[in-house]
Amino acid sequence: MLRRLTGGCRRIRRRSWMLTAFAAAAGLVSFDPARPSAAGADGSIQGRVEIRQVLPSSERRPTVSDFGTPRERDLVDRLKSVVYLEAAPRGAFERTELARAVMNQHNETFVPHLLAITTGTIVDFPNGDPFFHNVFSLSKANRFDLGRYPSGKQKSVQFTQPGIVRVFCEIHSHMNAFILVFSHPFFAVTDDSGRYRIAGVPAGAYNVIAWNEGRASEPKSVSVPGGGTTELDFELR
Amino acid sequence: MLFRVAAIATTALAVLALASLRADAQSMTSETISFANGRVTLGGDVSATFSCTDSEISTSSVCADDTGFFNYTDYEHSALRMVRIDLIAAVRATERLSFLVEVRTEDGDRLQPYALYARIRPWLSKPIDVQVGRVPPTFGAFTRSTYASDNLLIGYPLAYQYLMSIRSDALPANADELLRMRGRGWLSTFSVGNTLPDRGLPLANAFRWDTGVQVHAVGRMVEATAALTTGSLGNPLVHDDNPGKQIATRVVVRPLPGLVLGASGAVAPFVSRAAAESAGAAASMSGLTQSALGIDAEYSRGYYLIRMETIMSDWRVPLVHTPAIDLPLRARTFLIEGRYKIRPGLYAAARFDHVGFSEVAGTARTAEWEAPVNRVELGGGYSILRNLMVKGSYQRDTRPAGRTQKLNAIATQVVFWF
Repeated sequence: MLRRLTGGCRRIRRRSWMLTAFAAAAGLVSFDPARPSAAGADGSIQGRVEIRQVLPSSERRPTVSDFGTPRERDLVDRLKSVVYLEAAPRGAFERTELARAVMNQHNETFVPHLLAITTGTIVDFPNGDPFFHNVFSLSKANRFDLGRYPSGKQKSVQFTQPGIVRVFCEIHSHMNAFILVFSHPFFAVTDDSGRYRIAGVPAGAYNVIAWNEGRASEPKSVSVPGGGTTELDFELR
Repeated sequence: MLFRVAAIATTALAVLALASLRADAQSMTSETISFANGRVTLGGDVSATFSCTDSEISTSSVCADDTGFFNYTDYEHSALRMVRIDLIAAVRATERLSFLVEVRTEDGDRLQPYALYARIRPWLSKPIDVQVGRVPPTFGAFTRSTYASDNLLIGYPLAYQYLMSIRSDALPANADELLRMRGRGWLSTFSVGNTLPDRGLPLANAFRWDTGVQVHAVGRMVEATAALTTGSLGNPLVHDDNPGKQIATRVVVRPLPGLVLGASGAVAPFVSRAAAESAGAAASMSGLTQSALGIDAEYSRGYYLIRMETIMSDWRVPLVHTPAIDLPLRARTFLIEGRYKIRPGLYAAARFDHVGFSEVAGTARTAEWEAPVNRVELGGGYSILRNLMVKGSYQRDTRPAGRTQKLNAIATQVVFWF
């Protein structure tokens, strides 16, 4: 039994290296083993992401065959961004605990519109509308189709591959969302004012990237002192 | 031919250029294009369909065409061999007023306005809309699934596409003349009215929309629609060719999540003034009607989707000579179709479709006034991207009359929408 568990751990480690390689190919995250992981207290990176041109909320596909005005729906918040380390420090991929997140379907909108998670996270997709939804993704990183299910029900997906996952509803073509799956925990989603904070970063030098609705910034170099906080702002056009 | 290919290519490139306006962000091409704070939205649906049949009378040595005209939407265009480009625009002028337009080209023909109407919401707090212009068909369920991206298979249901011999501008003088045209709806000829050969009418036309006023109201579980338009179910028109109007209604009930039940009705004079006058029936023109009743149901859950629709339509034509035509001329259609998603992006679908007709007694025989048709279509689709799909299907048509009585066709279709 003990041997089996140990073997399992080895498999997890081997898999985490494969995930890292995949993530590097996807351009989402890379692991640079040449970078030393610093000893001592962890630091943090914080700052603000300014978006020069906010994409408008995606509109319904116009259809002439409907009899009347489509029902009201919530507008999508496309202001939120993700800031992440391009190259994670050694040891960042050793965590094995599974996390859980929720992406609701409310008033023909995915809430939140942007979710950032680590690999292995299970995301629940509850249907909060009084009609069917059909959540699916054809993204290479995680392809799934949850089928049609009614109000009050939920279905879940475990995201095992790092990458960018675009989520849609088959019935309501204007519904879309992003799930960014990282193989390390060094990322943060900005708040309503564009502020972010990545905590628990081992001291060292890193490249940091900001991402919003498919647009990624150029990597910015930053040095994180042990126990200190580094300010880093981004501007996305 | 070369000009037509160039026209198709140019239009397709224009559509792709429109679709890529927002391609600056990853995967954005699948989003609707919008301007002016979302007041103007543009969408599109492009499909290219190719098919081969086993027809024995075709002259083509490579890939035979549909010589039975089972899938022709008129004499020129087959639903199984077509490049179709639709561009749709919605303009929200005010909170109460929107304009919707769709232009369409088939096989590089000039752009045709498929839909063009104003949508008015008189009371903002009440879900009641009035649509005026070339409006969507009130009757039936399938008319809201005619885009290639919505159609589970490649072919269209017989009720909405198959051409019968009956025409609005030409009338059979007697039952013998009508029986002679069985299975020849792609190019039928009668001796009263317009005597030139032309295509017949489908039971309900999914490719041309009617013109008039439509009112739609939505409740918690029930939707109701009523319309007053110029043409008839099988022959929608912009300019009326007779003094009568069509009245059509539709009620939809959603008793459970995933279950949609619908009932439709329509009645309209369908014979043109010129044809009625030729038949000596100008005085009774308002009685020369097409009237139809339809019932439909849809249920979906998980990875399944099942639809069923049945329509009964009656036509009343003037009795000119003996042997007299037994009235009303009746057609009954039934279709059942289903889809199952096998894995993300991949589904299988099937449709069984039948259209049958009432009997008329001629001099030498009594037979159904049109040849009944059975169609089975099996196929599926695979989504390469969310808005780029490849479909394939096998279709078998059978009927006991006409130039081609059996047809096996395989078809493939590429669909892109935004």
